[in-house]
Amino acid sequence: MTGRLRIAALTLAFVLPLALAATPAPAHHGWSGYDSGTTLNLTGTIKESGYEHPHGYIRLDVPGKTWLVVLAPPSRMENRGLPRAGLTPGKTVTVVGYPNRTDPEEMRAERIIVDGKTTELR
Amino acid sequence: MIHNPQAAAWLVWLESSAVAVAMRQWLWLYPVVEIVHITGIVGLVGGAVMFDLRLLGLSRGLPVAALAGHLLSWARVGLGLVVLSGALMFTAHATEWAENPAFRVKMLLIVAAGLNAWAFHRWPFRSVAGWDRDTVAPPRARLAAVVSIVLWLAVIACGRLLAYL
Repeated sequence: MTGRLRIAALTLAFVLPLALAATPAPAHHGWSGYDSGTTLNLTGTIKESGYEHPHGYIRLDVPGKTWLVVLAPPSRMENRGLPRAGLTPGKTVTVVGYPNRTDPEEMRAERIIVDGKTTELR
Repeated sequence: MIHNPQAAAWLVWLESSAVAVAMRQWLWLYPVVEIVHITGIVGLVGGAVMFDLRLLGLSRGLPVAALAGHLLSWARVGLGLVVLSGALMFTAHATEWAENPAFRVKMLLIVAAGLNAWAFHRWPFRSVAGWDRDTVAPPRARLAAVVSIVLWLAVIACGRLLAYL
């Protein structure tokens, strides 16, 4: 292979995957999948909770609707003083966050207020 | 939370298993497994791509056969780590990953990369004694190198994207 050909092949080899990766995608886990222009402030009762990787979650009953609220990884919540017991079903909690751009039942919480204590989740 | 209770029975079984529950609920297991996965990627893709660059003519003074013995051995160790840690991460969310387009493409790309490596060892590498040092590698060896680099980088891209698709 001539020098120029080799450079072309190398460039292609490195650029092609990047081009594939750059295709815009509907985000699921990333914050970009949520509409930060709309802030939700919801207070409700925990119906179900998961202190789970990669993100904890609660199903939050508010009047007329049950939201799936995506929280932070459990290791982060533990570090910031929100243990598993803080998300016991039946508790009343408040979450502040943003709605999912495509799933009207789901939101991602920026912070959660449990027993009067605020935990930042990002 | 089972992501999709309607998924194939073996996926639901896998996602409900004790290993999957531990992966999701133990505070530090998941991140540790992710660290092992990344370390494995470094060994596998790092070793493979460094070898591919030599096939493409960089550092032509280094003997190809000896380099293969060194780099590809570590690539195999890396492969073992990524398969083990990857299986654990798949188990944790089996029904979700099985439906994920990036995950499916990733698996196909890994198979393709494996076939490419096999074909390279089966054909062009047999004659390595003739182009071990200071010589241009045969076209089929250089083609295998380009294919390998493209496929492994695409595998990495899919691996990262599957959390966002």
